Amino acid sequence: MKDHVAPPRLAQKLFDWFCADSAVEDLRGDIDELFYINSERMPLRKAKTKYWIHIFSLMTSYAVKKRKRPTHKQPSSFEYSMDMLKSYFVIATRSLAKHKFFTIINVLGLAIGMSISLLLIAMLINVSTYDEFHVNKDRIYRVISKTNIRNNWEFVCSPIPLAEKFKSEYGGTAEIVRIDKSLSAEAEFNGKELPLDGYFVDPNFLKVFTFPMVKGNIATVLSKPHSIIITQEAAERMFSAEDPIGKVIKMGTFGEFEVTGILKNLPKNSHMQFDILAPYALFEAIQRTQPISASVNPWTVLERSYIYLMVPEKNAETEPDHIETFMNQVAKEAYTEDMEVKATFELQALTRIVPGPEYVREIGITWEYTGFVIFGVLTLLILLPACFNYTNISISRALKRSKEIGLRKVVGGQRDQIFFQFIIETIIVTLLALGVSYLIFTVLRDEFTAMMVAAEFLDLNPTAFTLACFLAFAIFVGLVAGAVPALYFSKLNPIQALKSKSSSKVSIGSGFRKALVVGQFALSLGFIMGVGITVKQHIATLNYNFGFAQENILDVKLQGIDHNIFRNEFSKLSAVQNVSMSSNVLGVSGPASVWIQKPGEKDSTEVLQMSVDHNYIANLDLKLLAGKSFTDQQESKHDVIVNEEFLKQFKITSPADALDKTFTLAGSDGGRGEELRIIGVAKNFHYSDLRRPIQSFLFRYDASEFRYANLKITSNEMHSTISNLEAVWKTIGGEKKFEARFFDNEIEDAYSFYFSMIKLCGFLGFLAISISCLGLLGMVVYTSENRTKEIGVRKVMGASSTAIAVLLSKDYLKLMLIAAIIATPVTIFLFDIMLSGTQHYRIPIGALEIILSLLLMLILGVGTILSQTLKAAKANPVDTLRCE
Amino acid sequence: MKGYIGEFEELVLLTIAALGEDAYGVAIKENIEKRTDRSISIGALHSTITRLEEKGLIKSWLGDPTQERGGRRKRFFQLTNLGISSLREMKALRDELWDLSKVKLAFSA
Repeated sequence: MKDHVAPPRLAQKLFDWFCADSAVEDLRGDIDELFYINSERMPLRKAKTKYWIHIFSLMTSYAVKKRKRPTHKQPSSFEYSMDMLKSYFVIATRSLAKHKFFTIINVLGLAIGMSISLLLIAMLINVSTYDEFHVNKDRIYRVISKTNIRNNWEFVCSPIPLAEKFKSEYGGTAEIVRIDKSLSAEAEFNGKELPLDGYFVDPNFLKVFTFPMVKGNIATVLSKPHSIIITQEAAERMFSAEDPIGKVIKMGTFGEFEVTGILKNLPKNSHMQFDILAPYALFEAIQRTQPISASVNPWTVLERSYIYLMVPEKNAETEPDHIETFMNQVAKEAYTEDMEVKATFELQALTRIVPGPEYVREIGITWEYTGFVIFGVLTLLILLPACFNYTNISISRALKRSKEIGLRKVVGGQRDQIFFQFIIETIIVTLLALGVSYLIFTVLRDEFTAMMVAAEFLDLNPTAFTLACFLAFAIFVGLVAGAVPALYFSKLNPIQALKSKSSSKVSIGSGFRKALVVGQFALSLGFIMGVGITVKQHIATLNYNFGFAQENILDVKLQGIDHNIFRNEFSKLSAVQNVSMSSNVLGVSGPASVWIQKPGEKDSTEVLQMSVDHNYIANLDLKLLAGKSFTDQQESKHDVIVNEEFLKQFKITSPADALDKTFTLAGSDGGRGEELRIIGVAKNFHYSDLRRPIQSFLFRYDASEFRYANLKITSNEMHSTISNLEAVWKTIGGEKKFEARFFDNEIEDAYSFYFSMIKLCGFLGFLAISISCLGLLGMVVYTSENRTKEIGVRKVMGASSTAIAVLLSKDYLKLMLIAAIIATPVTIFLFDIMLSGTQHYRIPIGALEIILSLLLMLILGVGTILSQTLKAAKANPVDTLRCE
Repeated sequence: MKGYIGEFEELVLLTIAALGEDAYGVAIKENIEKRTDRSISIGALHSTITRLEEKGLIKSWLGDPTQERGGRRKRFFQLTNLGISSLREMKALRDELWDLSKVKLAFSA
């Protein structure tokens, strides 16, 4: 036998380690012998591989398992009898009741941590039920268009000719439903006006989708072009108690409709939400009357109508892949080389719409995956620290319980029994926490639904299934949080556990525990700073100098009233100082854009335009750098006032140079080739919200575009002024509602998203800091308790209370300092990125909010620490030293 | 019959019987592999042996240390009386079935 022929050492070591001190000598001998036999028969490498295989084969075999078991017959650890379970339960409740303080800390911490997870679970469950009520849900698909528009937008709409092609060429008995959601207008009935929104749909809509009818015949409801189906809820609003069938309602420019059917109210968990349905044929008829549509290739209209299809039954012909191949074949023919727009098509299953990926022009509500991912991460950021707290506190209390465990082991407690005991204890804690958490959840739920727009379609009232999931979740949290302490306790060596008196064991994992405290405080600090930064940004936005007057300007929606009449009537009021007209409200929404070009040049540039009257510039206090404003005799629509950015764009050096320069309108709309002449140059101002940079902009005087009147009000008695205004409105506007808003209110509204963010950050910050403080409290109480004797001796030797408090708090203060050092730059960096993404004009993050956040955290943290250390420091040494 | 003996278990029992004094892990494995022309894993073999010992069909003892396996002792196996009677019962059952067989199974009639 050659010397170097020896079995792989690593494998031998693994086997020896695995079998530990079980009697496996003969087994090792067998595989070693086999190796030597094999090494004669085959190459050494192969023999070594075989040896490894033998090792694993034996390690997983019953032979080793049996021998690893202690010699005397043990009851199998998984044969837990009811008695044992009962005993675990009793011991757990006793131990929890004995250490009430820690139990409360743990329950509260976990409850706070779990509350937001419950919200996520309830949301996920609800969202997963979306569109499940459709009987044919497995056979319905929606056509998605992947285009080359902008940055490869993916529309949920698709071109209508695709539906026709599909019907005529693909054949089969697939149902195709075309939907257009432009059917929204002020519906009128008996002088009552109500805004109703709905879809134009093909008649088979109700056959494909499961929206049951209360009244009306499914086969014929949509057969006449001017028939309409209304939901119960909308019908009640519109007709009160009357029977809606046969009633005629007027829908703005769409004409009159006869109600032919009533639908049961739509389930909340439908991705389509509508009040009314009208035939698609009518929509087509309307389209044909519009001259523009005739010149446009219908294949390029990608953002209008929706196509849904239902396949008859599942087979190879109706597989989505097969249909997609067909559609893309069609697309190849339809989108020829010379066309600018290109698209390919894909099918999306109905049940995959909510939650689903992000698309452009969704038909109704969506819950995108990304949102859930972000929410999930936030949830984890809150839940994990709570679990860590539990782990942390449990392990640091190991000393107190190690005696108990030592004794258990001595009288025959097995590892897995002790493990199980601790897991059960943790699960009891998490179940208690679930109760508290559920209370928090009910409060949260209402807040949450009020805060989010799409949340009104969420039904977060728990069903039996949701409750079961909550329960399962609590048990899962128990397993996660309890696993580490349970493993730790079950591993304790009974001899050491019974013998050890010093607290040397507590230091186990103390580095890890410190890291946890630092992490928690860093997280809390991040959220607090987030609130500070957002609040400051919000205030700054509201007080931002937009470059025009905001105070005392009341914007009134004209709603089709002639601007001259309006001006005449309202100017008569003494409180109204000035009246101007405009097509948009500045500073809130983006105006329309046009394309213009320099005369003689081919390239055109996008410029935003807004129509205003002659009073506007003065009324809003816009500064003119050169030229003049429009006059009240203004007849020409060709005169424009531009902003500084416009000059920059067209490389005009000084405002004075720009005057009388001419440009032409490009683009496909009516005004093509029209000439524009600059009569004035305005100083840059923020026509749109602060999220976007200022671009080239121009004012025109086009009376047909006026939508708003801007009244400058000078009055101290706002309330009576408004009622005066309303009275005047009655005389000219009749039944229409007086819609007026103050400029500063509008701007406040436009930035309300900051409010949501403040609320969210504030709430998460509150959760995070509560959890951190509870965790800190637990640890401080524990160390103070452990050091009672030491403190007593110190005091006897002459230490002052303050010195002792400092001694006890020092370590924790250090941890908080580290947390601050880590969290501050990270938070500033993250919010800097986020703000620059959302807002173009923003103020830098200042020192003030950072310092305030740090102070707040310091106060809370130090308060928590001192509350305990002072108590410990003040204790009378006689008491602490005497008790044994 | 108490307890059920599987095909592989029977094979192992018979091989132990055939090897007599020299029945230990490697020898059993090699023997079965040679005879049946199938590869058996050492883990499966030892699992089966352990179970047979649990059922009381075989007994074992450790031999003397030998140089060929690094001084490690071999564990030898031997059929117990229960093992022998189980095998007998098994064979009796088989024989009975062979005799009763309506299909011509035997090589000579």
